[in-house]
Amino acid sequence: MNTRRVLAAAVTITFATGLPARQPHVAAATHALSDTLREPPLLRNRSRVPGVVEFDLTAAPAKLRLIPGGPLVNVYAYNGSVPGPTIDVREGDSVVIHFHNELPETSTVHWHGLHLPADMDGSVLEPIPPGTTYDYAFRLARGSAGTYWYHPHPDVRSTYQVAMGLFGAFIVRAADDPLAAQRIPEKLLILSDNRFGADGQVEFPDPRSITAEIDLENGREGNVLFVNGQVAPTIPIAHGALQRWRIVNASAARVYRLALPGRPLIKVGTDGGLFEHPVEVPDVILANSGRVELLVRGDSSTVLQDLPYDRYMPQTRPPDWDSTRTLLYVRGGRVTGASAVRPLSMPAVLRPIPTLDTTLVAARRVIVMSQGQLDGKRMDMHRIDIRARLNTTEIWTIQNVVGMDHPFHLHGFQAQVLDRGGVPEPFPSWNDTVNIPKHSSVRIVVRFDDYPGRWMYHCHILDHEDEGMMGVLELSN
Amino acid sequence: MKSRYAMPALALVAAVGLVAARAGTRDPNHRAVQAGATLADTIMHGRYLVISHDCGGCHGGGSDPAAQGWLAGEMTPDMQFLIGPCYLTPGAKPCFHTHPRNLTPDNETGLGRFTERQIFNALRYGLRPEDTPDVEITSMTPGAGNYPLHPRYLAVPMPWMAWRHMPDEDLWAIAAYLKRGVRPVHNLVPESEGPPDFWAGAYTVDKIGVYPAQAFPTKNEQAP
Repeated sequence: MNTRRVLAAAVTITFATGLPARQPHVAAATHALSDTLREPPLLRNRSRVPGVVEFDLTAAPAKLRLIPGGPLVNVYAYNGSVPGPTIDVREGDSVVIHFHNELPETSTVHWHGLHLPADMDGSVLEPIPPGTTYDYAFRLARGSAGTYWYHPHPDVRSTYQVAMGLFGAFIVRAADDPLAAQRIPEKLLILSDNRFGADGQVEFPDPRSITAEIDLENGREGNVLFVNGQVAPTIPIAHGALQRWRIVNASAARVYRLALPGRPLIKVGTDGGLFEHPVEVPDVILANSGRVELLVRGDSSTVLQDLPYDRYMPQTRPPDWDSTRTLLYVRGGRVTGASAVRPLSMPAVLRPIPTLDTTLVAARRVIVMSQGQLDGKRMDMHRIDIRARLNTTEIWTIQNVVGMDHPFHLHGFQAQVLDRGGVPEPFPSWNDTVNIPKHSSVRIVVRFDDYPGRWMYHCHILDHEDEGMMGVLELSN
Repeated sequence: MKSRYAMPALALVAAVGLVAARAGTRDPNHRAVQAGATLADTIMHGRYLVISHDCGGCHGGGSDPAAQGWLAGEMTPDMQFLIGPCYLTPGAKPCFHTHPRNLTPDNETGLGRFTERQIFNALRYGLRPEDTPDVEITSMTPGAGNYPLHPRYLAVPMPWMAWRHMPDEDLWAIAAYLKRGVRPVHNLVPESEGPPDFWAGAYTVDKIGVYPAQAFPTKNEQAP
């Protein structure tokens, strides 16, 4: 008998594990039952002035049928739709968005990934009380073309408001986009998930329940997976034709590992837009709030899969974490339209991405992510955690010291990854959200070229953000 | 199978250790922490406590600080624990695998990024350092005095419920030794499994008693 055996025997105890029952994964059972993918409505520009776009965006309670044949569900919706309408604008545009908060609670609109003045960022520091209007106004810089999204970022209530339906895509286009010049058709795919109770309504656990504890740990995941608010819809692509997919992960916590079985994915961009060159990858791990752009060529029919990815703590890992899910049916077929099978004349470089200069770095910082905390602290809105100067470059080491992944999001700036776990990043790209896998470090370099004020940085698992796994960066001259 | 202390013996070692700490000793490796102790004194005291409390028995290196893998955590599968009925009956459920973690000050895989106060709170209250803010805890009521509303406890069978009875200066000395007296070893230990309540159900007062312990003498004890 040794210490180890005695210690283990001493705790051969009987306990109710409280592990959640395996929830059925809801999807269209077959391709035949699946609807064609629809895109969210475009938000209408009411400005007639060239270079100025002006929108009205209203967040309000609504009743929508979220699942075909299901009941009407009480939701929060932007302009009455879930996902909210897509904002589609161009580099150089001056954007004005009149946000009307008709919710029964305080909200904000965070323009996730956009480089804009701090008081236009829609963070917890700029709450919009119920019944009021706030005008978000900012100008989209040259080089900012990419796929972004918008969602509420109020104090403590982000998980709830996003789960209730508040999220939408924000696309910035470049005049010289080489893929647009090739007239490659585009599809927007907004990934989200949700959980419904026996009454069909959006379900949240009793705060004292073990489910609430598990949500706090993992982030709230749902068992119904949506693409643009549809369950496993279909995209038709003619054989040989190309499509550009802009994919947004708007889930509160779910990380997707996207794959087309048997085919490589052609990845052409991330959060902040196109790469210099396309890359072929077997699959893409898309952390919540991240975006990716893919080129997909039509072939025989297939499915877009979500492969198992273990981001979890073993104590709260869902029982069905290792199942493969079907997100989308891809219907192949013969050439039908004029857009199909044209030889591509791709430019040598999709767009130049200047590598940020790491030789003149004003500060190197380490940010430690643990459960619900950054650097051992919870957020305090009145505390400045990092003071930095404008027109400087900094290198941040984001260090995850715990056994689950945490996606790190810096507001207002696109950063370049230097290395992940010591492995140099093979090419530069722009990112506002970087997944930090369990027990590993990622170094990013960021240039603070403009916009003084206070900025958030945080874990983008929304439950962790609400819990205060967030810090405040102050930029000043 | 290597011979190691049994649990009751471990408690005895702890008691003897404390007596020795009070009385002073000729062991040149051990210098008690006293008023005006230097950092070196504190670290040496922590070292003595770590060796004598058999931390290495689970966390690597046994009782020999010169041994390979000293406090570096699980290196081989035989160092893990099976917790639950599967310990006696293979395949029985629930079954949790728990893993002695890396106690060296490596930044990513060890205790490097935790403060000495977080290590102190782990030993005194059983709280996982990564889940517990770096603050002084002044209460044991969840939600009060910085005690977390949802406490996350160290995995079974870490015997913190016995070691929490050590005086403050001993726990601080252990934290100082682990953070400053040990070379970092990069060894990623798998996260321990457990029930979703993070063992709260295993650490109730009726199972582990109260802290501080009931006044002497209890019904099992007698005054000399």
